[in-house]
Formats: sequence, structure tokens, C-alpha cells
Amino acid sequence: MMLIKRYIPLAIVFVFGIMTLATYYIPPKLAQDYYLETMNKWINIVAAFAFLLALLSLFYSHYNKIKRKVDGWGYSIFVYIGFLVVVVCAIKSEGQLMTGPALTSLGWIFRFLYNTLSASMFAVLAYYIVSTAFRSFRIKTLQAFVLFMAALFFIIGKVPLGNVLWNKLFFWTNVSISQVTDWIINVPSVAAKRGIMIGIAVGAIVTSLKIIFGIERQYMGKD
Amino acid sequence: MLEKFLKIDRRIIFLLLTLVLFIPIVKPLNLPIGAVSVDTKKQATAIVRHCFKKDLRVGVITFIAGATGLIEEIFEKVPQEYRKEYGKDYVIFPYQADYSAVLTQMGFDLYQIYDKDKFGTHPKNLPVMQGIKSYKDMGMGICITGTALLDGWVAFAGDKFKFPLGGGVTAVSQPGYGPYLQTGQLVGLLGGMKGGAEYESLLGIPGKGTSGIDALNLGHFMVVILILISNIIIIVTRYF
Repeated sequence: MMLIKRYIPLAIVFVFGIMTLATYYIPPKLAQDYYLETMNKWINIVAAFAFLLALLSLFYSHYNKIKRKVDGWGYSIFVYIGFLVVVVCAIKSEGQLMTGPALTSLGWIFRFLYNTLSASMFAVLAYYIVSTAFRSFRIKTLQAFVLFMAALFFIIGKVPLGNVLWNKLFFWTNVSISQVTDWIINVPSVAAKRGIMIGIAVGAIVTSLKIIFGIERQYMGKD
Repeated sequence: MLEKFLKIDRRIIFLLLTLVLFIPIVKPLNLPIGAVSVDTKKQATAIVRHCFKKDLRVGVITFIAGATGLIEEIFEKVPQEYRKEYGKDYVIFPYQADYSAVLTQMGFDLYQIYDKDKFGTHPKNLPVMQGIKSYKDMGMGICITGTALLDGWVAFAGDKFKFPLGGGVTAVSQPGYGPYLQTGQLVGLLGGMKGGAEYESLLGIPGKGTSGIDALNLGHFMVVILILISNIIIIVTRYF
């Protein structure tokens, strides 16, 4: 059991990790012909199976919610109904969203349900952002003040009305709001972002090496 | 009294925001602005228009299943404006699950991943794909996204294959891509509403309505004003 659950997965990760890493250091033609082309197809297939796994996990989780009648279990029924309706429409439409100028049933679902619901979800988010901004954004420290000023300039710079107001109120400075936002983006923001990116990259390299060499095994689960 | 204002019921804020967003949509205020483009969909539309205007061939790929509907919406109308034909002037590829594999493979031979277009035709049989095999046969790639996919494009397509890249992202993501612009890893970047509007202005495409922008303008300013008011109240109650 240990062989299947631990040693084989570790061996697969080690072999393919090292080989993928090696493709960066050998002639591209060689890597492409003998390794990358096949691997790219495999990655795509494995990713598709990961979706399937996620779907099963989602169904299982909602099945348990319905079975235990937890709070809001009724919503879980809609997961199944939604899935069934979309799959039936997708099969009926042969996966096409349009036939000529007309929408298929799948296309109708995308345009009038999926897109509108997605937009509604983000719109609802706006309410919480505004409410939280009012209740929680307290300028108590110098750092909070700097953050607020940067956000303020950025909002003014990114909203057309802000441009108009800036030009009317601060025309005497001979500095446009675009210059201010460009400076924020190109100097302090880039400096901070670059530091974060370098940190993330170093962390990713270390974690990847730990996974390849079997030191980090959390992805394999507890068993 | 002022402290009570800080503990205002959130439903009042919700109502206020609803009014701020709803009134300008019903009755546009016509605030003095230029062209209009509110999101990445509008950015994508403007870029496709620009490509067709310059008689460039366009290939569309997506790694977000939900984006297929948006792509259909764009290509339902824009090609007709410029009398462009599917298969001859543009092609749409089906959704693929994993961007890293697809973007890497497109650097060698894209037909190994995309062996059919969205209608099931082999892309090699389409006139639009003649002479196209990998990134080196393409002028540039533009990634329009509301997610972090642009990072993947930079890492797996731009840097690895020296493929010129542009991007279109939401305003909130734009500052994060500054390093890529400075180093030339991105040759251009559209950021949110204003970026889209500026691009439309450069193309000479007029705005198509101001009600949404009015609401957006006022919504943004409401956030700033609320933050300022709450902090002024705190200062007043604490020191006066």
C-alpha cells in the first residue's frame, strides 16, 4: 500500500519535475521533440480530469448538506438543477453557443443567466466594499494615511470626473492627475510589487524543489 | 451624536449607494467625460475593432470557460462592422483547461493542442491560419483578463519565446503590472475603464452612452467621501 500511496507518486513527481526543469537548460528543439509536446498534451488532459474530480467533490459536498439538512440546504438542490440544465442544453446545442445569428439554448444560458448573474455577484460586492470602507478604513497611522492618499489619487486619476475636478481645482500646480498616478504606478508601486514578486519567486522555487525532492508532501494528503 | 453616525446601519449605506448608482442610469447626468469603456469586455471589443480596421488576422483563445459567451457576444457584431469573415479573417478556438501547457505548446506547434476550431474544423484548413504555426509567426498577443492570467502569458509565452505581449486588465489590477511594463515584458497595458476609454479615443471610436459612467463616477466618489467623513468625525470627536 505504501508503494502505491507514497513511493510511486513521489517517484513520478521527482522524475517529471527534474525533466521539466531540465528542458530550460537543453536545446529547445530536443526538449520539444522528445518531451514538451507530449507533456503539454498530458497536462491538459490531467487538468481536465482535475475538473471532473472537483465536480464529484462538489456534488458529494452538496449531497451531504442536503442529507444532513444543514442551514441553507435548499440552495444545494440548485447546484444539481443548474448543472443538469446546462449539461442538457450543452448536449442539445452540441456545445455551440450560436447557430448562425441565433443563440442556442446554451448560448442563452451564458448570455442571460451566467453573464448577468456574474455581473450581479460583483455588483453586490460593491455594496460591501462601500460599507466596509466607511466602517473600517480608519486613518490612525502614517502608513494608513499614505495608503489612503495613494488610493485617493488613483481613484481621482482613474475616474473621468476626477480628472475634470483635478483640472479645475489644481490647474495652478501644472501637474496633471495622470502624471501623479503614473508616478505612483511607476515608482512606489513598482518598487513594492517587484519586491513582492522576487519574494514569491524565491518562495516558489524553494517550495518546488521541496516537492520535487519529496521533502514537502502535504499535497499527497494525510494517509 | 457624531459617534452615532459612525455606527450607522449598513442598510442606509446600501440604500445611498443604490440611489447613487441607480439615478444616473435612469436619468443620465451627462458628466463631462470623453469616450466610454467600462470593463475588459469593452477593451477586448476595442482591440478587435482596431485589428480589423488594420486588416490584421485575429485568433482568439480562452482559458476561462465562462468567457466563451463574452467572446461570442463580441464576434457576433464586430466582424460585420468591418465585413470580416470567420475562417478567412478570424478564428475562435475552443476553451482549454490548462493555460501553462497551451501557452508553452503554442511556442512550438499550436496544432498539437488546437487540432480543431470551435466548429470542429481543423485550423490548418482555414485561410486565416495559413503560415501560422507558433508564436514566431504571429505579430503579437494581447491578453484581456479580469484574472491573473496575464502573469501566465508573460512567463510562458512572452519571456520564454520572446513573444511581444500586450494586456488589458481591470483598474484594480493595473498597478501590479507596472514592473512588466518597465522591463518591456509587456509592450502595452490597458487599465480598466480609463484605459479602454483612452484606447477608444485613439481609435476615434465614439462613446456609446454615459449613464453607466455617471454611476461609476459617483460610486467611486461616494467611497472616498464616506472614508473622509468617517475619519473627520473620528478626529473631531477625539480632539475637540
